[in-house]
Amino acid sequence: MKTSRYFLQRLIYGFVLMLGVSLLSFTLMVWFGPDQTYELLGKNPSAAQVEELRESLGYNRPFLSRYGNWLGDMLQGDLGQSTRNGEYVSKLLSRTLPVTLLLVLPGFLLGNLFGLLLGMAAAWFRGSVLDRLVLAGSVAGLSLSFLVIIIVLQILLCTPYGLNWFPARGWRVDGLESYLFHVTVPTLALILVSVGYNTRFYRAVILEELGREHIRTALAFGATPAELLFRNALRNGLVPIITRLLYSVPLVVVSGSLLLETYFGIPGVGKVTFDAITSGDQPVLLAVVTLTAILFVIVQLVAEAGCRLADPRLQNQ
Amino acid sequence: MKPTVKLRVILVVLSVGFLSACSETSEPAPVERSVYVHSMDGVPRSLDPAQASSLYSKFLVVNLYDTLYRYQYLARPYELAPNLATGMPVFSDDGLTLTIELKPGVHFIDDPAFADGQGREVVATDVVYSILRHFDPAMRGQGAWLWQGRIAGLDEWKAAGADYDTPPDGLQATGRYTLQLRLTRPFPQILHTLTQGYAAIVPREAVEALGEQLGTRPVGSGPYRLESFDSARAVLERNPDFRAEPIRLAEEGFEPRRDRVWGLEIIEGQVPPLTDRIEVEFIPEDAARWNTFYSGRSDFLKVSVSQSDTLMMNTDPVMLKPELAERFFLDAAPEAGFVFTNFNMSDPSIGHHEDPEQDRRNLALRCAIRMGFDWQTRNNQFFAGIGQVFPGVIPPGLPEFDPELDDSSIRFDPQGARDLLAANGWTPDNLPVLEYGFPASVTERQMFEQFRSFMEVIGFPRDKVRPKAFASFGDYAQAYSKREVMLMTAGWTLDYPDAENTLQLFYGPNASPGSNNSNFNDETFNELYQAASVLPPSPERTALFEQMNQRVIERCVTISGLNRHLILMWSRDAIMRPDRAFLGGYFLRFVDMVPTTGP
Repeated sequence: MKTSRYFLQRLIYGFVLMLGVSLLSFTLMVWFGPDQTYELLGKNPSAAQVEELRESLGYNRPFLSRYGNWLGDMLQGDLGQSTRNGEYVSKLLSRTLPVTLLLVLPGFLLGNLFGLLLGMAAAWFRGSVLDRLVLAGSVAGLSLSFLVIIIVLQILLCTPYGLNWFPARGWRVDGLESYLFHVTVPTLALILVSVGYNTRFYRAVILEELGREHIRTALAFGATPAELLFRNALRNGLVPIITRLLYSVPLVVVSGSLLLETYFGIPGVGKVTFDAITSGDQPVLLAVVTLTAILFVIVQLVAEAGCRLADPRLQNQ
Repeated sequence: MKPTVKLRVILVVLSVGFLSACSETSEPAPVERSVYVHSMDGVPRSLDPAQASSLYSKFLVVNLYDTLYRYQYLARPYELAPNLATGMPVFSDDGLTLTIELKPGVHFIDDPAFADGQGREVVATDVVYSILRHFDPAMRGQGAWLWQGRIAGLDEWKAAGADYDTPPDGLQATGRYTLQLRLTRPFPQILHTLTQGYAAIVPREAVEALGEQLGTRPVGSGPYRLESFDSARAVLERNPDFRAEPIRLAEEGFEPRRDRVWGLEIIEGQVPPLTDRIEVEFIPEDAARWNTFYSGRSDFLKVSVSQSDTLMMNTDPVMLKPELAERFFLDAAPEAGFVFTNFNMSDPSIGHHEDPEQDRRNLALRCAIRMGFDWQTRNNQFFAGIGQVFPGVIPPGLPEFDPELDDSSIRFDPQGARDLLAANGWTPDNLPVLEYGFPASVTERQMFEQFRSFMEVIGFPRDKVRPKAFASFGDYAQAYSKREVMLMTAGWTLDYPDAENTLQLFYGPNASPGSNNSNFNDETFNELYQAASVLPPSPERTALFEQMNQRVIERCVTISGLNRHLILMWSRDAIMRPDRAFLGGYFLRFVDMVPTTGP
């Protein structure tokens, strides 16, 4: 009961949060976002045509009226149409979101897995040559620009200058083989750019756990290194790990995918969002912001539940 | 094994072998489909003809829809050719009424918007509807400027509520396949406007059923239909019902000496579209576009300026490195347009001033700034040295271009500039602050820094030349449309091969928010423009154009100009002559792919 009341409370806070985020983003778009008028005008418009277009875009309506209309539509599930090309935003997102998920999830998961394994190894052999090598490598990874990594991998793997095994661009996915063909290089790029950050994080978490008394006790009872790392240290370090993993999902999905989608020509939601920002396509941008807020609320709930599962002591708090 | 068993085994084996051989021969061989992959350095926003303002949108629109006219594939200078029209229009004696006949039997593609889902025949009322859309406020059409004030009754039709069932007198379907336009005054460029993507013919049913979704779901009668369209690419499939009109190369401007090098003679007599499928990849990033092309995954590339040094053996004439020339064709063509920098003539600190004395000093200031602009350095550093600098505002490639025009307006003369400033009382203390506007990007910022260095040479204090950067092109356009930018870097892509299209940039009534961003409003120029606007191409009109050009030069309205040269490369498997100018996307229907050999 306590738990269900807690989650209900979180849901209500989440709804209030979404309203706040939507109002803030709507305000920013209206007052500071690009004015689409001059992008949608013809080459030699008259002043009357400029005013006509502004009127049709709703720019002359009072702010509260515009926000109220938009909120009412949103609550009924009507995300509107892109002012860029007229496509229904719901259709646009249903087309692009799965592509982005398929694009970033392998790199996200593998980047974290490699980071975890390297971090654990570095933590276990703290101070050793391996530890120093891993730390140096992670700093190098942190320092490299994502863009540089993408371009270098494209040259090495996607052009006749290198191995030319994979396409430099495109997303013609109709099965597992074509999926692997198109996702391999972006995944490698994402792993290379994220493993540095991830390694340092996991190393820090594991190191902190390895310093605790229960580890010394387990060691005294003859636990093997694998048991110490996976059953004792990792399990007790799950709370910060779960929190970080889950909270990074919305960022990876939206912002992390932008460069990959742009440079690999993949029609996902990151690029669509960026185009909406620069062109002032308010319906698309507002929908993405609102859905990201919803995702954060869901992530928060899932993270709370996950942490409670990982650490039963939290259920009593 | 007993002989009977052995025999049975042999018979079974033989039967299996016979049956498998039968099945191999009875299955039809897979049909080889030709695919052309085009790469584009930008992304089209909408495929609705009413909103096809960018050259990227137009490129696709003219392949998905029909227009009344197009340009001949190979003729240079460009020549008009009928597309959906049966021929050139019949003009009335006064030249104000055009009658155009449409080809019968042309159908829109099948779509649920039509009764029974079957595409109906294209008729003259569709052309009327398609043009009227630009004058309907609900459509947000971007092409009204082409016909505004030129076709009788359009403004009245709009004011009366934009009822499509009662078209204006000046735009009528007088028969099922007969269109009649009545002009308010002679309009020599009318047929050019009917080649534009804006003039593409759409069915009313599709617009009413799809509304704004027409931007991603075209319903046309063009040589291709859209299979898919997203932020990364568009895929076009051959329209099987496109009218069969065999290619007559002579009628497309074929010149054996020039065009045989691309192997174009083999398309004679074939029926367009020649390729089954066209994949257009939207690749704004230069490196990614090059990698895709070089790895053989696209057949076409517009070479970016930054890569020209790497790829070219020579720039004059433009020649590829030998190892690239073995695999690719190359064409270096002048762009249909030019780049320039306008002064805002409505800004009294640098433009027109009510006080005649100050106005004279401002003229000297503008001329001095123009004299201090080093076009050759600009050309070398930003256009790989292959652009063509020309005086005035009529760029090379246009019939009215004068290669003998005095070039003093583009000559770098810093001493002359300093003398002119001094002679007119300009000193470092009283010089105005120059605000140089541009949309934010690395290249634009570098161009500003270069401009500032030019101004320092002629005596401008560094802190008196300031950047005014804008986050997006839309913001920049808004600012100069509101006359808030003192110096504007600009580029103009011509809509048709007629110098009227560049001279209208300085016509007073076209001042901001119109296309005259310099806000130049000169009585002499305006009178000349009005006189020329009703004349057909002729020596008389060219003489008027020359006077207008000279007027813009004398008044130092703009620092102009440079005509960029586009370097186009394509695979030797693609039999074509691509075009980024007036022909634009129309060339796609003539692209033929050499069958590739392989497993």
